[in-house]
Amino acid sequence: MNNLRDKTVGWDWLTILIVSALILMGITNIYSAAYNPERPFLFDLKTMYGKQIMWIGVGLFLGIVISLIDAEYIRKLTPIAFVTVIILLVLVLFTKPINGARSWLGVGPFGVQPSEFSKFTTALMLAYLFSQDRGKIITKKSLFLALGVVFMTMLLILIQNDTGTFLVFTAFFFVMYREGITFDPIILFFSNRILGMRFKQTWVGIHFIPVLFIVISFSIVTLYLTDSKHTFSFLPGYDVPGWILILSVITLILTIAFFLNQNFSSQRSKGKLRSVILIVYFVSIGLVGVVSYTYLNVLQSHQKDRIDLWLGKIQDKDGKDYNRNRALAAVGSGGFSGVGYHDAILSSPRSQHVPESETDFIFSVYSEEWGFLGSATLVALFTILMIRIVVIAERQKSRFARVYANAVAMIIFYHFSINIGMNIGIIPVIGIPLPFFSYGGSSMMSFLIMILILLKLDSQRKEVLA
Amino acid sequence: MNLEARRLVFILLFLFVGVVFTARLFYMQVVDDKWIERAGEVAKRKITIKPPRGILYDRNRKKIVANKTYYNLMFVEDDIEDFDTVAFSKLIGMSVDSIHLRFEEIRKNLDRKTKSKATGNDTIVNDYRTYMPNAFLSELSADEISRIAMDLPDFKGFYEEPMSMRDYPYNSGANIFGYLNEISGEELNKDRQFYNVGDFIGRSGLEKYYEHELRGKKGTKVILASARGKLVDNFADGKLDTNAQQGPPLHLGIDIDLQAYGEELMKYKLGSAVAIEPSTGEILAMVSAPSYDPNRMVGTRNIRSNYMKLYKDTLKPFYPRPLAAEYPPGSIFKVIQALVCLEEGVIEEDATFPCTKSWVGCHNHPTANSVSKAIQFSCNPYFYYAVKKLIQQGKYESNFKDAAVGLELWEKYMHSFGLGQKPETDIYGLRSGVIPNVDFYDHWYGKLRWAFSTIRSNSIGQGEVKLTPLQMANLAAIVANDGYYYEPHLVKSIGDQGPAEKYKVKKHTMVDPKHYGVAKEGMRAAVNDPYGTARRARINGITVAGKTGTAQNPHGEDHSVFMAFAPYDNPKIAIAVFVENAGFGGTWAAPIASLMMEKYLTGEISDTLKEQRILDKRFTHINE
Repeated sequence: MNNLRDKTVGWDWLTILIVSALILMGITNIYSAAYNPERPFLFDLKTMYGKQIMWIGVGLFLGIVISLIDAEYIRKLTPIAFVTVIILLVLVLFTKPINGARSWLGVGPFGVQPSEFSKFTTALMLAYLFSQDRGKIITKKSLFLALGVVFMTMLLILIQNDTGTFLVFTAFFFVMYREGITFDPIILFFSNRILGMRFKQTWVGIHFIPVLFIVISFSIVTLYLTDSKHTFSFLPGYDVPGWILILSVITLILTIAFFLNQNFSSQRSKGKLRSVILIVYFVSIGLVGVVSYTYLNVLQSHQKDRIDLWLGKIQDKDGKDYNRNRALAAVGSGGFSGVGYHDAILSSPRSQHVPESETDFIFSVYSEEWGFLGSATLVALFTILMIRIVVIAERQKSRFARVYANAVAMIIFYHFSINIGMNIGIIPVIGIPLPFFSYGGSSMMSFLIMILILLKLDSQRKEVLA
Repeated sequence: MNLEARRLVFILLFLFVGVVFTARLFYMQVVDDKWIERAGEVAKRKITIKPPRGILYDRNRKKIVANKTYYNLMFVEDDIEDFDTVAFSKLIGMSVDSIHLRFEEIRKNLDRKTKSKATGNDTIVNDYRTYMPNAFLSELSADEISRIAMDLPDFKGFYEEPMSMRDYPYNSGANIFGYLNEISGEELNKDRQFYNVGDFIGRSGLEKYYEHELRGKKGTKVILASARGKLVDNFADGKLDTNAQQGPPLHLGIDIDLQAYGEELMKYKLGSAVAIEPSTGEILAMVSAPSYDPNRMVGTRNIRSNYMKLYKDTLKPFYPRPLAAEYPPGSIFKVIQALVCLEEGVIEEDATFPCTKSWVGCHNHPTANSVSKAIQFSCNPYFYYAVKKLIQQGKYESNFKDAAVGLELWEKYMHSFGLGQKPETDIYGLRSGVIPNVDFYDHWYGKLRWAFSTIRSNSIGQGEVKLTPLQMANLAAIVANDGYYYEPHLVKSIGDQGPAEKYKVKKHTMVDPKHYGVAKEGMRAAVNDPYGTARRARINGITVAGKTGTAQNPHGEDHSVFMAFAPYDNPKIAIAVFVENAGFGGTWAAPIASLMMEKYLTGEISDTLKEQRILDKRFTHINE
């Protein structure tokens, strides 16, 4: 008994405080965003706020039940939970699509979205796999298993046509990065076995997260330019397509690099650098090709439109850009201190100017009513919460808890940055909920369970699990 | 490698995004006003509130043009529930089929042609919205709506909406007031600020001339509209709203009883009767015959059924004869000729000319041994000789040159009487009449190829000279005033503003006031003395001065003309009556004028036989 008390260090009150604040703010906000004057009672189950409160109750109940389980058993139950959700994800593919996506499983009004739950089950599974390696380095076997788990889930979600959740799963690469995973074996397989080079290790395989940011920036430039036309005074009468322009610039820069390398590098590194330059050259060309092709030929037309609207390539504020434009106007008209609670002009349920104002665009309601002060407070709360979770992650003794905690931080980060980002126009429209704010039972329950598991694991952080 | 340090990548990423979001939010919400403007565009709707039109009063403060409330039966398609067409058809007295047709018609009426931006082709866009109100039936009278209103709550989505339209309590004055009609595309383009499709606008008469005043100031109500266009709330608690202001009342110089009486007398006749108050230039009555009941042109329903009928009527009831019909004035013109001759000194007050009947014909009368006698007897040769002396003053050797100089002088005199130019009366449709000048005859006959003998008919008001009835009435007013006039006008005050500046200007003729006594005496004698030509114009107890005219008409019966003023010593009314194809001026025009003057001055008619004779006389056959 005494032993157990020593190891149980209690719950992280800061996290509980912030999450409770977010939940209360979220409920307050839904009570305005979905206010029905005929049913003013907050707990009326025929209203969205009533239902949302019910989901919170269910989520808390489930979360607390789970947190009664000892951390070690949570770890051991992980594969069962994961497989269950995977089965649900397969089952959901046989349902009728709602709004173009097959995400809902259930009877009548009470449906659940397995994809929401798959986020924390996959996080647990990833933690489970990595926790099996005793040493500091993750084995290749664990890595490939982890990749298999993540990709399989992503594939199932992609088939559902739930692009938003699909993107959230890339959060797990950040977690892998933190665990020191290297993709070198895969890269070296291509460079050494196939291309016949002789690298011992690559920077890219280890630092894939910085590479990810480079690739994202590069892709945005490509998306912006690829189907544009440019005229030059020295080329009268020709419209140069953007993709040729990009390729020309890449070629030019790398040609210069190539010659600089030839003339100024030491003999020892010259050969290696030449290979690097060539690889970078072909990889960039490949990237331009893949991004352009995907953008122009693979993306569904509404997805391409969202990107074009975001990049400002097309303007259609009363047509295709209707939702985003109204949401931006609602946010922007909030002013410094907001128009006041229940007084939203654009995003109020009476005026209905902002579609999806209870779900994807819920932030616009909050931001219009509470202004910059409220919005900045919300951004700060989320930022503190995410940092706090990373701090929690880093104080775990067991890898299972650390991997899981980092995954939770990144999942919240993805939801937070994508959802608010699209509400303020710096990210294209991608439909994923804002944690604790957006209306929706699955999302609310899964985030609550996710946080409660985290808190439970943290409360036993001094134990070495597995 | 220190993997713990990689937590910093996470924390820095979170901080970076947090800072970027905060900065972006600050820019959007605090710095940049673009989104507030956008929100206004999206959610703010201005609703225009149009006031009822200004009211018109006559000189005795009687309401002569008023407003009456009508009702539109409105519906919002989205709000219609459990629509029982059979019951509805019973309620409004339309067949079930025509109810369906009506819905289709409403939808179709909102088709709009636009040029497609993409292709440049004309495409049809339909503006019908199921959430917007539309009129199922419009312009229902209070009676009509009261039959429906009781059961209307049974039909969800339908409701009544009041509207204001013109009402003319006296059924007369149509040619003065004009009428309103739905605005045309051209008019709409001129003033998109004020008007909307389907608005009514003054189309003729005072309604058109004073459109700007009568329409009033529109008010605006700024509302918060929902995405579906429905009113949600007042915007900014109504702080941006402005009230609609009804146009100011117009106070007219018209005496509506006189106007109505004049129209009654002129019924079944073609022509005009214009009465002016000499001391002010206010028009007391302006009868155009035939006329119509102005209530027949109120609202689209009436206009649809009556406009073409009136428009196609061969007697042209829309034609504003007092303003636009140009007639030879006949002998009433002699009064003016006499005045000019006296002023020029070509004759003296006691000048005598023999009634030779050689150049121009005449009737039998005692010798005119003075100007006033010549007016009294209306002796044609007298004026032939007198005007000849005026035109051919013998200042030049060449007869032709002499005539040209003389005519030029005469033209100036005529203009000083307001002839040959448009009056500045506050109504559209005025014409200037014709005062032939040197250019006019040079054009016909060649320069220096005409002399007085060529143009002699003008001396007695025949020939090329032409006046409108309004100008004739103004001549009577000039004589009554001893040589000045105010521009005849209909509205004496907009609100309490008083008369417009241009109607306060006393305009003098080129003839010295001292000469008018002779003319007035001649006109008095023409009515009151033996051998006078206008004895039918006498009124018991009131001295009338008048001058008859018989305008020769090569196309048919002569026109009967009369101008007069009364009372002789203190003229309160000047009048000109013109009856087309009615023969001698003393027979019809004179008694009509005298009845109108008596009515105006005493309020009653002493000689009912005279009145009955006029009322019974029919020159035209109008199917009422």
